[in-house]
Amino acid sequence: MPPIIKKEKCIACNTCAQVCGMDVFGPITPGQKPKVRYPEECWHCRACVMDCPVNAIEMRYPLPMMLLHTESSKKDRNEG
Amino acid sequence: MIEIQENIVQCDVLIVGGGIAGLMAAISAADAGSKVCIAEKADSRRSGSGATGNDHFICYIPEVHQTSVDEFVKEMKAGICGDRCDTSLQYKFAKRSFEVVKDWEKWGIKMRPHGEYEFNGHAMPEHMRIMLKYDGTNQKKVLTNEAKKRGVKIINKSPVTEFLTDNSGKVIGAIALDISKETPSIRLFQTKAIITATGIGMRLYPSSTPGWIGNLNNCPAGTATGRVAGYKIGATLVNVDYLWTHAGPKYMERCGKATWIGVLKGPDKKPVGPFVTKPTKELGDITGDIWQAVFDEKRANGTGPVYMDCTETDQEDLDYMMWGLVCEGDTSLIEAMDKQGIDLHKDMVEFGRYNPCLQGKGLQVDMNMATDVPGLYSAGDESGNFNAGIGGAATTGRFAGENAAEYVKNIDDFVDVINCKEIKEAQAFYSSLMEHEDGATWKELNLSIQQIMDDYTNTNKIRSETILKAGMTYLEHLETAAKQSICCSNSHELMRALESFDLLTMGKLVIISALERKESRGVHRRSDYTFTNPLMNDKFITIKKVDGQPKAGMRKMF
Repeated sequence: MPPIIKKEKCIACNTCAQVCGMDVFGPITPGQKPKVRYPEECWHCRACVMDCPVNAIEMRYPLPMMLLHTESSKKDRNEG
Repeated sequence: MIEIQENIVQCDVLIVGGGIAGLMAAISAADAGSKVCIAEKADSRRSGSGATGNDHFICYIPEVHQTSVDEFVKEMKAGICGDRCDTSLQYKFAKRSFEVVKDWEKWGIKMRPHGEYEFNGHAMPEHMRIMLKYDGTNQKKVLTNEAKKRGVKIINKSPVTEFLTDNSGKVIGAIALDISKETPSIRLFQTKAIITATGIGMRLYPSSTPGWIGNLNNCPAGTATGRVAGYKIGATLVNVDYLWTHAGPKYMERCGKATWIGVLKGPDKKPVGPFVTKPTKELGDITGDIWQAVFDEKRANGTGPVYMDCTETDQEDLDYMMWGLVCEGDTSLIEAMDKQGIDLHKDMVEFGRYNPCLQGKGLQVDMNMATDVPGLYSAGDESGNFNAGIGGAATTGRFAGENAAEYVKNIDDFVDVINCKEIKEAQAFYSSLMEHEDGATWKELNLSIQQIMDDYTNTNKIRSETILKAGMTYLEHLETAAKQSICCSNSHELMRALESFDLLTMGKLVIISALERKESRGVHRRSDYTFTNPLMNDKFITIKKVDGQPKAGMRKMF
């Protein structure tokens, strides 16, 4: 569920639903807070977070998109 | 039945897709006196692969490069975007790329964020650097404003689905959906020319995450619609046998690999490529551009994985890299690393190759970005014989706008579209998808296409006549089943379903083109033609509809 709308902060301006390139939010009904309807279609461009005028949107990065990483030890490097 | 809106939108030039190329096309066509409309699937302020930024713009500035345009084009050809391009278009692009950069700067996009023109990224040691480093975070909003200032009418939430021609074969209009409401309706356009700029062409192959549609490194709303709609009205596609792949962090497909300032290393902490041992902002590691198979190869032979290691990057350069990721629109990558506690001072991030897409493979264009259908132009990542990333999209958008505006000056009148049989056919088909009950979803269709394309045509697997033809048979079976069963409950689902049908057609065109390339070359590897045929070095595979059937051919590079 990549974008999360914090309902208590949302002012129902529908900016997120209007700008989203993937139509993740909706429906656009004036005066009503949109819902995150198609979370798996999000491509993590983060436009909704950047354009929300009241910082009501946060991203939650899904587990399958966890970045794979490992520590690069300096000791190993010097020896290697 | 789905309603067809009574009001037909009329304009001289219709732009299909309000991405970088589409907006630039709109601006230049309007400057040349045309009445211009953009039909945009989402919202042009944030749509497409340039949605939240880019940081590399290929650009030739003679006084900075201190070299000839010949040398610049030679470097383009050796780089990430240079293969499978017509040289003549590369020259035209190179000569006019700087004027676009100057305009972007004038309009408020930071092309010299640190005061001077800086070139770095996607570069080889001791070679000329052709990528202008810029801050594209506001690019879509700036270009949208510039288009609006010129009277361009932007119709958002309106994906175009088909192009219309008259009996002589020239462009006269387009069919679109209006998805601004829950219940879809059909919007018609009457126009003298179309500039299609529908982007990279994603979702033909699976994302890194099984079953997950949106985890892609370019905008997943670009689904080859312009290519397919163009093909249907007689335009030639080119190079679609030869797919493009990108690489970046696993499993979050956000790319920006040339923005990273580090060294690609194996688990033994040794660089996997020959290009750089100490990364700097001037010279990161280009291995992932040149040897994209490195990730698959080292995984397959057990010597992987391959990691991006920034631990030896100086702090100043690391700060520059993080700034670059913001310019590139990759703030989610920064945020995800932060949330996951990844510290690039000590952690290496595994990189992988992403599945193929259609960047720079698609509609064949001439020097004016005209296709072989009168009145149909194509620009940006959708064109099949030229690709230069974001700079290419901006500059070819300008070319297309200028030339379409010239073309329409010689077209006297609009032609009525309402009697085109394609409109009734579209209405009947779209309505059937809305009326089916208890059937398959669009996602089932899209995933089915992806699994067939992955198994029978992918670049990391061997192709052959038998395997490709089997894939073709399965796509045909899928098409029959999907037409009878796909059901949609609202405009969003209908849009996605039609995109998926476009992908299905595109998949078939990829297969027929791949069958025509009877050799192995780069990402196209065939077990029945294992050698690289030097006679085909400068040959492009084309595909065009002839008597209702796809016909593949070959032509020389110009």
